[in-house]
Amino acid sequence: MAEDSIYKHLKSEGVSRRRFLEMCGLLAGAAGLTYAAPLAASGLPASLAAAGADPANTVADALKKKPRLPVIWMEFQDCAGCTEAITRSQSPTLTDLVLNKISIDYHETLFAAAGHQAEQNREAMMKKYHGKYVLVVEGSIPTGEGAKYCTVGGRTAEDLLKETAEGAAAIIATGNCASFGGIPKANPNPTNAKGVWEIIKDKPIVNIPGCPAIPEATTGTIAHFLIFGALPELDKLNRPKVFYGQTIHDRCLRRPFYEAGKFANSFDDKGARLGWCLYKLGCKGPTTYNACASIKWDEGLSFPVQSGHPCLGCSEPNFWDGGGFYQGQSAPLNRPTITALGAAVGAGAVAGVGMAASNKMKKNRAHRGSGENKNES
Amino acid sequence: MDWSEILRFARGPLFQIALLVFVAGMVFRLIRILLLGWSKDRVPNKGSKFGGVVKTYLKGLIILPFIPWVKNTFSRNPIVYLAGFVFHLGLFAVIFLGTAHMLVWKSLLGFGWATLPTPIIDWLAAVTIIAIIALAINRIVNPVLRKISGVPEWLNLIFVLIPFITGYMMYHHLWFEYNLLFSLHMFSVDWLLVWIPMSRLSHFMFYFFSRTIHGAQFGKRAVTP
Repeated sequence: MAEDSIYKHLKSEGVSRRRFLEMCGLLAGAAGLTYAAPLAASGLPASLAAAGADPANTVADALKKKPRLPVIWMEFQDCAGCTEAITRSQSPTLTDLVLNKISIDYHETLFAAAGHQAEQNREAMMKKYHGKYVLVVEGSIPTGEGAKYCTVGGRTAEDLLKETAEGAAAIIATGNCASFGGIPKANPNPTNAKGVWEIIKDKPIVNIPGCPAIPEATTGTIAHFLIFGALPELDKLNRPKVFYGQTIHDRCLRRPFYEAGKFANSFDDKGARLGWCLYKLGCKGPTTYNACASIKWDEGLSFPVQSGHPCLGCSEPNFWDGGGFYQGQSAPLNRPTITALGAAVGAGAVAGVGMAASNKMKKNRAHRGSGENKNES
Repeated sequence: MDWSEILRFARGPLFQIALLVFVAGMVFRLIRILLLGWSKDRVPNKGSKFGGVVKTYLKGLIILPFIPWVKNTFSRNPIVYLAGFVFHLGLFAVIFLGTAHMLVWKSLLGFGWATLPTPIIDWLAAVTIIAIIALAINRIVNPVLRKISGVPEWLNLIFVLIPFITGYMMYHHLWFEYNLLFSLHMFSVDWLLVWIPMSRLSHFMFYFFSRTIHGAQFGKRAVTP
């Protein structure tokens, strides 16, 4: 059955062609194809890559030919928040399409099986779809001395990741933890946590950072892989450009107030009530690349800045150590300790006194040498 | 390595080091000046030294800058006077009354204050940049200034100009990634902090020493050696 094309599979479930095309349009939107589609980079035939190709048709064409995409979803040092976000994402068709039609064969939070049965299922899937499945990782991976802090079925996360990554066609790291280490990596990083791309070097890896990752970004990236069989265009940090191409600040609805210099000074002052800029309350929007301000959350209802909370910068590496959440971004990351300041003052004073003393000695010696014929003191 | 990592370094450890070097350097310079001593009065003073100090501050800082035409500096070289005045005004406004900068002070001192609206700061920053460039051009054009301008004078101008340019570009999101501009801004500021104690930019502190000493000398009205 797994070899059936997705369209055939959907048809057998009673999905009409009209409904199918509607889904294709949705998927095209989710994969960001309404923006300039990176068709040329996807290795598709030139006829599809030609300008003017309807993204929905591109998707329909792919779904008619391709079998379901097997996905293995591994969870390591995580809070299952990214999974929660996906299951609560308010586009049911999309979730249905991605979670059911794509066939998630192993997901620790979602599947009913448990224990060795579940592990056996994973191993069977890995063998059956070797080289074809997509590995989604949620949560950071403790390494080295700390590897023992996360084990599944008696094996360390590091070990399991390496094993599952070996046969994966591509890896999608969802959430800041899997992408960059996230909260487990925060100073002092007791478990020596790392992101996937710091451990696996020989596979195509996409990072979908966020805390949690925007569900549409994760499903959209999976959809892109399903449609094109290749990963979307990525930035330096391996994030899909279509979702991470612009900062929160670029798309912020409070941006005019930033330009006008109207800031909220506290969470309950006039500025806060009038929806002014949250820069002074520690907003990290200017340096944070994510789609919160455009895709938003809960079916486009709102996002943190809109609801009155400054951006924490959760899609950037080491955001947990990026200065106080409520401290303005222009402020230095930490202030020098009194001891360090005292030492600096002391060093300056000692050097100053030393220099003055040596100069005085030199001067006295010079005076003694030149006798009485001096007229200045 | 990506710019957000570099920015974390420039805003974090590097800024701390620069700040400590700045403090140590300024304390060193201050102690050196203080230990030079104060010259003794060798003849009775006819006037009051204190009065002289008060008068020089009143005239020099509060009255004369607003009636510049009576000043020699103004009538001899209005460009230096005006551009210098605008530059210092803009510098203080941007550093102390710009919102982003006030937050820096707040994080260091523990308290903040009201700031000017961003568009005004923005405008002042632009005018300040123009003033720095005008001063630089004047240094090239004026034959006397050109003769007495050495490498340190040019470096002073450049090191003050760079934070202004990067800050301006950063605020307006011009051409480059915000993180990159922010990093460059921090690097230039970090360097400026280290540079100030080593250069004549330390006049932000020692100006007041020379003013005081000159004021006292003027006020003495006595024969000085």
